[in-house]
Amino acid sequence: MKKFLAVLSALTLTALCVPFAGCSEEGGEVITLRVSSWEEYIDLGGWDEAIDLDSGDIIGVNSMVDDFTEWFNQTHDYKVKVEYSTFGTNEDLYNRLSLGDKYDLVCPSEYMLMKLIAEGNCVDYTDAFWNKSNEENYYANKVSGYIDGEDDSVFKNIRFKDNEGKYVDLHKKAACYMWGTLGLVYNPEKLDDISDVASWSMLKNEKYARQVTIKDNVRDAYFATLGIINADKLEGATHAELSALMNATDSETIELAEDMLKNIKNNVYSFETDSGKADMVTGKVIANEQWSGDAVYIMDSADEDGTELWYSVPEECTNIWFDGWLKLKNGIDWTRQRHEVAEAFVNFLSRPENAIRNMNYIGYTSSIADEKVFEYMEWNYGADEDADPEDIFNYDLSYFFGDGASLTVDKENFEFEEDGTINRGRQLFAQYPPANVKERGVVMLDFGDKLSEINQMWINVRCPDLKDVSPAVWGVVGSIAGVSAIAVCLYVFRYKLFVNYRPKKGYEKVEK
Amino acid sequence: MTKLRFSRKQLCIPYAVFLILFVIAPLIVILYYAFTNGEGKFSFSNFSNFFTSTNTLGTLFYSFGLAIVTTLVCLIIAYPTAYILARSNIKKKYVLLMLFVLPMWINFTLRITALKEILSVLEGNISKYPFLNSVIGMTYDFLPFMLLPLYTSLQKMDNSLLEAASDLGANRVTVFLRVTLPLSVPGIISGMTMVLLPSMTNYVVLDMLYNSEYIMGSLIGSYFSAYDWHNGSMISLVLLVIIFIVTLVTNRFSDKEANTRGSML
Repeated sequence: MKKFLAVLSALTLTALCVPFAGCSEEGGEVITLRVSSWEEYIDLGGWDEAIDLDSGDIIGVNSMVDDFTEWFNQTHDYKVKVEYSTFGTNEDLYNRLSLGDKYDLVCPSEYMLMKLIAEGNCVDYTDAFWNKSNEENYYANKVSGYIDGEDDSVFKNIRFKDNEGKYVDLHKKAACYMWGTLGLVYNPEKLDDISDVASWSMLKNEKYARQVTIKDNVRDAYFATLGIINADKLEGATHAELSALMNATDSETIELAEDMLKNIKNNVYSFETDSGKADMVTGKVIANEQWSGDAVYIMDSADEDGTELWYSVPEECTNIWFDGWLKLKNGIDWTRQRHEVAEAFVNFLSRPENAIRNMNYIGYTSSIADEKVFEYMEWNYGADEDADPEDIFNYDLSYFFGDGASLTVDKENFEFEEDGTINRGRQLFAQYPPANVKERGVVMLDFGDKLSEINQMWINVRCPDLKDVSPAVWGVVGSIAGVSAIAVCLYVFRYKLFVNYRPKKGYEKVEK
Repeated sequence: MTKLRFSRKQLCIPYAVFLILFVIAPLIVILYYAFTNGEGKFSFSNFSNFFTSTNTLGTLFYSFGLAIVTTLVCLIIAYPTAYILARSNIKKKYVLLMLFVLPMWINFTLRITALKEILSVLEGNISKYPFLNSVIGMTYDFLPFMLLPLYTSLQKMDNSLLEAASDLGANRVTVFLRVTLPLSVPGIISGMTMVLLPSMTNYVVLDMLYNSEYIMGSLIGSYFSAYDWHNGSMISLVLLVIIFIVTLVTNRFSDKEANTRGSML
């Protein structure tokens, strides 16, 4: 017996050791980079068609991660292995991290970046990464000045306190991957009046009762609600005021938001997590709160089905969101090589041709501003050269791609206001909003210690309230419960109550 | 070579390890979180949070209502079906039974997605009937769990008991009410527990069929996604207590039936 147990335990031990043996760093030469990012957020390869730009074809044959590994192993004197995993929500990632999962590089949204930085979980990118004279530093050289520039950029305008009360900013701590706006995807043919979709109040508009969906997510729902509540104050407000109003988390605002959200809940089709895309295409809903990247995907898939969908950024305000790469402290022993590998990965994704591959695969907008990306946009949306000059115009993108950058595109894909500004359009509008839209965009900060209060508000909205139950319902439920209780009692005690136990004539009762 | 012999105790080891790792340990963790606050100190605040808020209590009642209606609908559909399948002399009744169990082999999110489209065709805008749709979805999901225990209990029933009852002058209705129904009570009870408890927490069906109300499962999830393990654990604990009470009651019920069966006949 003992012998058997010894053999068994030996076998088990070997079995347990085998998987670990695989990832041990052979002679210290293979470095495992553990990356965690959103689902479907990177090119997985297997394309049928190449993007045939003038500067050369771009095609995703293998996945981006495989290409990185191959490139790295050929050009460096040590080897790298990438363990790529995905998460479904930012909270998922945070919970995993707090349960002790270890990653070297993660790609959460802006508010989670701020939370992780504030809690001191990250490591700065090295100076070598920001050295612009090195051409290999694609991120530092190519990132758009609008996202992470010297002054008046999205990153520079974010100021938040870490847990020790010190002000920190995102610059040099995170590398932006994809960005976009928050708006409404809609089907213009089914709207009475197109101007309805120009406001967040579309969500509570009774004209469209049970025809519009809202995101099933506290932050996006809260943002849209604040847009409705603050509609008057937001008009003509400066950017700083806009930002303060849309980031308000005082109890009074939360209370107002609760009432408004209850209204919205009774008016919308549903709170949606993943079904929005399909429901728009099948025509179950006519408008849908969406992130710009998903909006592009939805419009593309609807085009294939012959339905023309549009994207609107409500005139009150919009949420400028972004996802960024963060180097985590808990990725074990940050040796020089690990820094190098992680930064090489971010730089590899920032190569213009790779940024284009990712954009083409997932539909979101990369933070990389480069001639090639611009060329790709032209390839995608540029007007025909022989088009009637009446039908085309120059779409100004200088804020993102630098001075003088403007695309010649068809007018039919944009809707012009009287003063010539654009608030609604199709794919290109969703990918790169015009300057007037970007100006009313604010970054939504982390709720911080107000999270539990806002979450309680959300629960109050989503849970059926006993106080709202009408007396009639109480009466019906009460009487059903009463009747069934009486019936059960009668059934259980039926012998005691109804059946007579006296023996019949001619029989005798036998005592046990 | 030595012969392999295991004593009973040794055979229990794999299950004991499983039990400790995946049942007892998580239970202790739930208990710990349910009765502590954010600072890790003992507190009843989660408990009072749950039982003083009309919203969380509303969710409890809503989940209960949904689960009870689902269970009744399942019972009403499954009992006649099981009765016909078990008592009739259809040659291919195993094939018929298979047809009822077959959908269980397909992933249930796929089934609900298909159901969503069917309901959209029938009802038009399905978001107008959230409660009805949830009941239909849950019934679709859990019907086999009700059908199978009923079928087993009706199937194994001794035919001679029914014949005896008829011989003694009972008509078909009396035979059913006085013999078949009481004998199938254990099947009904186990079917009801198999449907009632999961349908209190199966929030995926509600999500997929556009019901915006929270039930117990989604409430727990919502606390967890705000990193509030304490309130979430307390609600899990409330659910555990409900399950415990239901199990106690049903055990009593089926035991009593087993004991009194002889005297009733």
